[in-house]
Amino acid sequence: MVTTLNPVGAKVGSQVGRSVPRLEARDKVTGRAEYTHTMRVPGMLHVKLFRSTVAHGLIKSIDTSEAKKLPGVIHVVTIDDIMKVLPHPYYGPAFHDQPILAHEKVRFVGEPVAAVIATDPHIADQAVQLITAEYEELPAVYDEVEALTSDVYVHDQLKPAGTFADLKHLKGAKNTNTALDYQLRRGDFEKAYAAAEHKFEHEFKTQKVLHLSFEPFACICDYKDTHVTFYDASQGPSFVRTEMARLLGWPENKVRIKVPYLGSGYGSKLYIKLEAMALAFSMIARKPVKIAYTMEEMFYQVTRHPCTFRIKSGVDKDGKIVARKCEVFWNGGAYADIGPRVTQKSGLTASGPYDIDNVDINSYALYTNLTPAGALRGFGVPQLVWAYEGHTDMMARALNMDPVEFRRKNLMREGREHTTSQVLKDAPIEKVMDKVTERMNWSQPFDKGTGTVRRGRGIAIAIKAVISPTTSVAIVNVSADGSATLYCGTVDMGQGSDTAMAQMVGEVLNIPTESVRVVPRDTDITPYDMGTLGSRSLFHMGHAVQRAAEEARDKLKALAKEVGEPEGSNIPIADLFQKRYGMQAGNVIGSGIYKPDYVSPAPGTGLSPNVTPFWMISGAGAEVEVDTETGHVKITKLINVVDCGKAINPKGVETQISGASIMHIGFTMFEKMYIDGGQVTNASLADYKIPGFHDVPDVMENLYIEHEQSNGPFGAKGVGEVATFCPSPAIANAIDDAIGVRITEMPLNAETVYRAIRAKQGRPLEDE
Amino acid sequence: MIPFEIAEPTSLAAAIALLDPDDPTIRPVGGGTALMLMMKAGVFHPEKLVSLRKIESRYSAITAGPDGLRIGAMTALGSLERSDDVKKYTPLITRTLRTLSNVRVRNVATIGGALAHGDPHMDLPPVLMALGATMTVVGPKGERKLAVEDLFAGYYETVLEKNELIAEVHIPAQGTKKGAYYKVTTGSADDWPALGVAAVIEADGKAVKSACIVASAATDKATRLKSAEALLNGKTVTDALLKQAGEAAVAESEFIADVRGSVPYKRELMQVYVRRAIAAALEGRNGAH
Amino acid sequence: MTAARTITFTLNGAPVTADVKPHHNLVEMLQTQFGLIGARETCGQGLCGCCTVIVNGRAVSGCLYLAVFIDGADVVTIESLDTRDHLSPVQEAFIEASAFQCGYCTPGFILMVTQLLDENPDPTDDQIKHYLTGNLCRCATYPEVLDAVKLAARKRKAAAAA
Repeated sequence: MVTTLNPVGAKVGSQVGRSVPRLEARDKVTGRAEYTHTMRVPGMLHVKLFRSTVAHGLIKSIDTSEAKKLPGVIHVVTIDDIMKVLPHPYYGPAFHDQPILAHEKVRFVGEPVAAVIATDPHIADQAVQLITAEYEELPAVYDEVEALTSDVYVHDQLKPAGTFADLKHLKGAKNTNTALDYQLRRGDFEKAYAAAEHKFEHEFKTQKVLHLSFEPFACICDYKDTHVTFYDASQGPSFVRTEMARLLGWPENKVRIKVPYLGSGYGSKLYIKLEAMALAFSMIARKPVKIAYTMEEMFYQVTRHPCTFRIKSGVDKDGKIVARKCEVFWNGGAYADIGPRVTQKSGLTASGPYDIDNVDINSYALYTNLTPAGALRGFGVPQLVWAYEGHTDMMARALNMDPVEFRRKNLMREGREHTTSQVLKDAPIEKVMDKVTERMNWSQPFDKGTGTVRRGRGIAIAIKAVISPTTSVAIVNVSADGSATLYCGTVDMGQGSDTAMAQMVGEVLNIPTESVRVVPRDTDITPYDMGTLGSRSLFHMGHAVQRAAEEARDKLKALAKEVGEPEGSNIPIADLFQKRYGMQAGNVIGSGIYKPDYVSPAPGTGLSPNVTPFWMISGAGAEVEVDTETGHVKITKLINVVDCGKAINPKGVETQISGASIMHIGFTMFEKMYIDGGQVTNASLADYKIPGFHDVPDVMENLYIEHEQSNGPFGAKGVGEVATFCPSPAIANAIDDAIGVRITEMPLNAETVYRAIRAKQGRPLEDE
Repeated sequence: MIPFEIAEPTSLAAAIALLDPDDPTIRPVGGGTALMLMMKAGVFHPEKLVSLRKIESRYSAITAGPDGLRIGAMTALGSLERSDDVKKYTPLITRTLRTLSNVRVRNVATIGGALAHGDPHMDLPPVLMALGATMTVVGPKGERKLAVEDLFAGYYETVLEKNELIAEVHIPAQGTKKGAYYKVTTGSADDWPALGVAAVIEADGKAVKSACIVASAATDKATRLKSAEALLNGKTVTDALLKQAGEAAVAESEFIADVRGSVPYKRELMQVYVRRAIAAALEGRNGAH
Repeated sequence: MTAARTITFTLNGAPVTADVKPHHNLVEMLQTQFGLIGARETCGQGLCGCCTVIVNGRAVSGCLYLAVFIDGADVVTIESLDTRDHLSPVQEAFIEASAFQCGYCTPGFILMVTQLLDENPDPTDDQIKHYLTGNLCRCATYPEVLDAVKLAARKRKAAAAA
């Protein structure tokens, strides 16, 4: 295949909009794709961690003497050993609150307290069993609402990292578990609510669930005194580089993060997870070290935020919502991780896709003595939508209004102000809702049945703001034979980003997508990217990639002019280089940077005229069958509709929607971390069930509409999370429709539904 | 995992000789799936495993005859699943195997192991009990016969001595009996059951001659529901009788709570599924919730 | 300290030996001694299928299979399915149907599907789902996998007819 400068017949949309099979397909289906968890580096040592069995306590002593004696054990380390190589061993994206190993105190069951570095992982395991520790137990706090006013403090003092301006005022704060209190004030809630014809007040809860990426957490660190290399299962290598450089007191350019294939992340493999530990251990051992988790250890690393959402709405006599108050309590666990961003960035959409003049939002990030919570696909929005869309349906029923018409009366429209005061643009909420109701045949009567099996249907709609401001940089390199290479830091963890970015390069350069090579992430080579998270990559990195490809294209044209080619020449690119350099030599390099405009929410009001470059909009509809004798719920139909702006890779978009739907069936229907006295009691796939083949609904439709994102690359925007928002409340609304029972806490497993049925019948089931 | 030794005797007798009635750290292993789970979880630390992989091949054979089926204890569950004899003589087992764990486990796990492990959550023990199965158990003193019904002593406990091994399982000819097994899961669709109910009934239409009903998973061991059976024997099944049988089953059972259900909820499940299992058995079909 | 044992077996058609300790499982032996990384330990409990290996013609969970039991066995891994020029029909079907995302569970699925079609060349949807209950995918590509299996069945049938 010969690439030429101006291919005859090349047309717009030849690459973008194609369902190109994934570029890395062959590696994945042949099993040759290498992931960090299965990587080996010559001479590397293996690490196993000794973890706290106490939820909150002072460390009185740690005895590692027996462990050290085991043949094959090279080092057994605690925080004291680490402080000799890294004097300030604290990290975290929002707060530098997390010590590399527990320091003076343990704050959750499973917190790493000591580490064994050995020649063999089995020996390391054995040695861990020989370590003992003594704790002076302290009272613990587990519930997010309790944590707000509790006098049990997880941290003696807050330590903002300095990365986020809205946290600076918390520096040194004591006697609190509140890591952030985000406030939004619009209009006058109290007055409008008092005057409202109808008043509604509900509370919804979301349980602790987790990502469970199939590639467990893994990190290899090869520290040398002059530079350090990590092989890291990370979604955000640039952040890791910055943070490791900070810990070392080194310039960034001496820190190299390489990401092999990533066996998914869903938000778990962000910021700092194992990297600081691996660094410290490699510094101590002066050899490469590898940490590779077991499935059980996943439960002690990071989870989603459990959430309590108290929502109050005032509705006028015509069914228009005139006032809303949202109090959201986010259970952040023992260390803040990115919780404060969940609290603010998702908090600002807590009132939903509804046009309400008077809104109060208080969104609290709380510390508790549990496994830390972080980013999980949706970044807090699924928990919010669970509440506000359940609340919407409850109000509609109470007012005797059709749930769809009630939403239509209240939803936000283009040109109106969002709650934050930003004018809504490219947010086709009504269009998405109409697609859902069309596919649900909502206008047709629905047979709910009369026997012990009852049927019902429900819908939900949602909005999310992509977090801002963030920066992405990309480089496109055209080689002397005309082949193109893309260097960008977006990590493809299965969402298809490499392919989509290559499609954009192909579109600009008029070359087939399949001919573009996207190099693996390596911070020595791939430039800065904020992180592969929050559905930001297609938009932000897409812009950077488009700009880089355009610059490369413009430089090729300039090169053609330089060697005397006529305007519009279709010279093969290889010939161009040959002409210029006398042989197959040289490169043409284009680069692009993108950072959107942004206005920070004003302190106190939380309002901003430009808080996000794009909105994510989705809707879902569910039909269920409920066995009223046992509480078993069968999801017979699930419709999930998103607005994607422009489908760069249609198959890719569909599979993102489908995957999100099924993942959320798990979170909705049966996933839950069971915790007793701070101890997770179901830390395995045998007892924490995730969806399998038979959990997929018989009928599933995963649909998108293309409402052009006017400021998006090729009119596109991200779709990684948007389909996660609505399945949960749609299912709960359908159950309510079927059996007149409202369940406000997930999971909606058979026992929960059965108990709700019995309670409604006035003969509740005993607890034990 | 903590290191251990492995022995691979080539005869059943040699395997028995390696076991010690007083040493719980020496353990026999069949397919190994259940044992490996316990070892990796740190629940069990063997010093020595006695693998039964290489004992005489007759212990992996399935033989059909007029007195029923004889199945060697080392027969893999997958072999049972693929066996035409099993399908012909005890289709209840074939149907049950379809949702028993997964294909890979069935390729390796053995019928002897499924019984000897004493795990109340497993699917085969209640089904074998309901079919009236017996076993040949071999120890250093020789052979004895034991009904599967009498095998389980408690939670993960059997009556077997530490140096006894199940050699063979016999399932008597079933005549015109029909059976059903309900595997009730309460989390994901495929999971360990919260409750298992096996029913094998000899009936003339709805007129019951004899019933054998066994519950598992919700109870600490697979348990025959004798008072429920007594209500059915010699009676014609009606909705009212089914309801009574369900209530009787609950009254005579002791339940254990776990992540799959509280005790009060499991009581409700048993009422419903004893009813459903009897109705399904009369038609000869298994059920899933 | 338990002793290592030398085992001899056939690996992807070739005779090989390995030194293993009793507590080593099949997956770690394949990874550390043969550099075969297609079988991966994820759940460690035989539930997810990422560790699928074919032993003596039957799929097993490598994470629950002691390496010493491989002595004298015939072992086949995902790496045996492709050649430099060709992918197997099941592998091709997985690509065409977009039946993977992060790819971690994919080799396990492909081996199970290959075995399924060997045993049952024309399975129904119900048979496919029951056969694959031991293969989990956190990215949840189940609908695409179902399509891939049916596509693979058609490809294999066409190849057999040709």
